[in-house]
Amino acid sequence: MKTILEKGIVFYQGKFQELDKLVIEKGKITEVVLASSKAKKGKPLPAPKKKAETSANVINCSDRYILPGFIDAHTHLSLEEEGVGWYDADYNESFGLATPQVRAFDALKMRDRAFNDALHGGVTTAMITPGSANPIGGQCCIVKMVGNVAEAAVVKESSGMKFAFGENPKRVYGEQKKFPSTRMGTAAVIREWLMKAQDYLKRKKTKEFKEREIKLEAMLPLIEGKIQARAHAHMADDIITAYRIAQEFNLDMVFDHCTEGHLIAKELGKWKARAVVGPTFSSRSKPELRNKTFETVEILMDEGCVVALTTDHPVIPIEGLSVAAAMCVRHGLDEERAIKAITENPAIILGLDKRLGKLEVGYDADVVIWDGHPLDVRSKTEAVFVDGNKVI
Amino acid sequence: MSGTFFPGQKVLVEKGKIASVGSMIRKNVEKVIECEQKYLIPGLIDAHSHLGLFESTVPADDINEPYAEITPHLRPLDGVKMRDRAMEDARRAGISTCMVCPGSERPISGICSILKTNGNSADVGLIVEQAGVLMSFGEQVKVTAKKSDKPYVTRMGVSALIRETLMKAQDYYSAKQSKKMVKDREIDMEALIPLIKAEVPMRACAHRAEDIMAAIRIAEEFKLKLVIEYGTEAHLLAALLAEKKIPVVLGPTLVPRFRYELNEKTFESAKILIDAGVDVAFTCDYPGLPIETLRVAAAMAIQYGLEEKRALAAITEVPASILGVDARLGKIKKGMDGDLALFSGHPLDIRSRLEALVVDGDLFVFSKDLKIESGS
Repeated sequence: MKTILEKGIVFYQGKFQELDKLVIEKGKITEVVLASSKAKKGKPLPAPKKKAETSANVINCSDRYILPGFIDAHTHLSLEEEGVGWYDADYNESFGLATPQVRAFDALKMRDRAFNDALHGGVTTAMITPGSANPIGGQCCIVKMVGNVAEAAVVKESSGMKFAFGENPKRVYGEQKKFPSTRMGTAAVIREWLMKAQDYLKRKKTKEFKEREIKLEAMLPLIEGKIQARAHAHMADDIITAYRIAQEFNLDMVFDHCTEGHLIAKELGKWKARAVVGPTFSSRSKPELRNKTFETVEILMDEGCVVALTTDHPVIPIEGLSVAAAMCVRHGLDEERAIKAITENPAIILGLDKRLGKLEVGYDADVVIWDGHPLDVRSKTEAVFVDGNKVI
Repeated sequence: MSGTFFPGQKVLVEKGKIASVGSMIRKNVEKVIECEQKYLIPGLIDAHSHLGLFESTVPADDINEPYAEITPHLRPLDGVKMRDRAMEDARRAGISTCMVCPGSERPISGICSILKTNGNSADVGLIVEQAGVLMSFGEQVKVTAKKSDKPYVTRMGVSALIRETLMKAQDYYSAKQSKKMVKDREIDMEALIPLIKAEVPMRACAHRAEDIMAAIRIAEEFKLKLVIEYGTEAHLLAALLAEKKIPVVLGPTLVPRFRYELNEKTFESAKILIDAGVDVAFTCDYPGLPIETLRVAAAMAIQYGLEEKRALAAITEVPASILGVDARLGKIKKGMDGDLALFSGHPLDIRSRLEALVVDGDLFVFSKDLKIESGS
C-alpha cells in the first residue's frame, strides 16, 4: 500500500522547500514532487483522484515539516537498558584490554524504552558501539529503532571496530594497577594487535595455517578495509595519535567525540576527516573535555570535514540529538548544515549515504513529520515512518 | 502582567534596580540599548545547582563530604569558585541567579545559598546565605553509604538518621530557649535552628514517590517547610502535592534513566504537576547537566504539552517564589532587581541567542551587533 504525504515543508536537497507530494511504497521513497517544480511546469491543478488511487493512505502535512529520520552515528543504545542500573550495563569487558571479538550486536535489548524515545525525538537509525574502557573495545553495529529482535532492526551487524584513546583506558587500567596507565601504553596495545592481525592475515594465506584465533579473526575485516576504525578521542593530541596509527596500518578511520577538533581543524580538513562530534551537552567532567564548545562543528565543517553530531546515548538521552543541533545553531551554525549534521552527514560517515539521510527517490522511507521547525525544541514529532511503516 | 510579551516597552535600570517600565520613559541616561525585534525577559533563575562547587575539569570537586553523613553546617559560600567557567556559561545562558547547595549523596549535607552570577567573589553575589537545609532520600544516598561502609544502607536507615538529627535539633533549640541556656554551642545544631523555627525550608532531594512521601512525613512530624528537589515521580503525587502546597524543583530531565529511581522520568511531568496546581521550577542540577540547558528543559516541557508562559514562569517567577525572593526577583517590574536577559528571538526557541544580560544593573554584552548608544 502506498502512503502519500501532501503539502508541507520538506528538507530536500539540503534546504527547506515547499512540498507538493512525497510517495512511499514498499518501504522506499518512490516519488518527490516539489510545489515549485510543479508551478514552473505550469501543470494544471491535480484532477480529483480516481477510485483506483484511493487505496493510498494520504496524509495532509500542511504547515508541517517533513524530514528524513535523524541518524546518531555514535550511541550505546540499549547496552544499558533505561531505568535498570548497572546490573544491566554491557558497555565494556573492562578486564580484557583488547577485545575485538565482542560485538555490540550481541548485547542489544530491543525492548529498551530508549528506542521508543529515539523515535519520539525523530531519530530512526543509530550506530551502537561498545564502551571506551579498552584500547580495543569491540565491534559496532548499525540498527533502526524498530523490531522485537535485533535481526529485525539490523542495518549492519558489524560496521566498525572501536578504539579508545586518552583518559578512559588509562584510568580504567591504571586503577586496576595494570598496563596501560599512560597514553603511550594505550597506543602500544593498539599497535600490538594491529601488527598481530597483519601477520595473521599473511599466515592465514599459507598452508601451515591451522587454528583460528577469534580475536584476530575479528580484526581481519578491519585490516582488509571492510569495516571502519572508530577512534574515541577527545584531546587534539589523542586525535593525532589515532590518525598516526590509522596511517601506519592503512585504516579507514572515523574520529568519535573529537572534542578538541577545532584546535586542529586545519589538519583534520587536510585529511578530509570524518568526525562524529559530541556529546557537547555534557558537563566538562574530565580534563580532556576542558575545551568543549558547540562551535567545533562549524569550524570543522568550514575546513571541509564531514561532521555528524552525537548524543553518545546514554550520556545524553537519544531524544537530545535535535537539541544538540539547535545548540549549534545558537552558536552560529546555519540551520541547513545543522540538519545535515544529523541526517546526510552521519549517513555518509556510516557508509549508508545511498539509502539513508535524505528524502530522495530510492532512499529508505524513514520519514518524520514535525508540527513545527525541527530545530525549535518546542516542536513535536507527529508521525514517524521507518521503512515505510508508521511507527508513531 | 506576567507571562506575556509586550512590544514597544522601555525598561529603565537605575542603581541596580528596575526604576520604571513603560512606553513613555523620558529621562537622561548613560546607555540606551536598542531592542527592536528582540525579546527581553527577567534574568533566569535555577533553583537548584552546585555551580562553583564543581570546577570544570578539575578532578577534585567540593560537592560531597563522603566521610560524614550529617553536615548541616557546611556552607556553599566557603566552597564556591566564582571564576569557574561555569559561572561565565551561566551568564551566557541568561541566568542571573542560582541556588547553590552541597551534593545530594548524604542524608543531611548542608545549607543552601542564593547567589547572583555577577561579581568575582561569592560574597559579592550573595543574596541569601541560609535559604534552606539540603536533605536527601533514596538510591543515591544508599549507594554512597554502601561504598563507604556506613551503618545505614536502607531507606529506613536514612529516614531514621534524619529523624534522630531533627529530634536533637528540636531539643537543642528548646534547651537554648530555656533559662539554663546552652553553654557549649554545637555547630551542626546551630545550623539547623532556622529550619526548626520554620524560617527556611527543608529542601528534600527525592526522585521516587516513596522518597517524596518520606520527606513529607518527616516535614510534617517536625513542622518544617518543605521543597521537593528533583521530583522525578512527583507527577504521580500531583494532587497531594497541590493540596499540601509543596513546590517542586523539577529536573534534571534531559538525562538518561541510569538508576532505578529515574524509571518514571518523563517530560510530561511539568505539565501534570502545573495543571494540578503545584508550583514547579526547572533545574539542570549543574553539573548534572550543563547550566546552559535550563532553557532547553523549559522548551522540552512545551514539546510535551506545557503552555509557553507557564514554561517561562518555571525559570523566572516560580523559582523566585520557591526561593522566597519573589519580592525582588523573577519579574520585570518597578522596584525589582535589575536582572534582565535579552534574546535575539523567542527565549524558548533554543536557536535564539542571548545578546545581553543585566545582573543588578551590571551589563554583560554577548553580541557584537547589539546597538548601544550613550546619552539621551
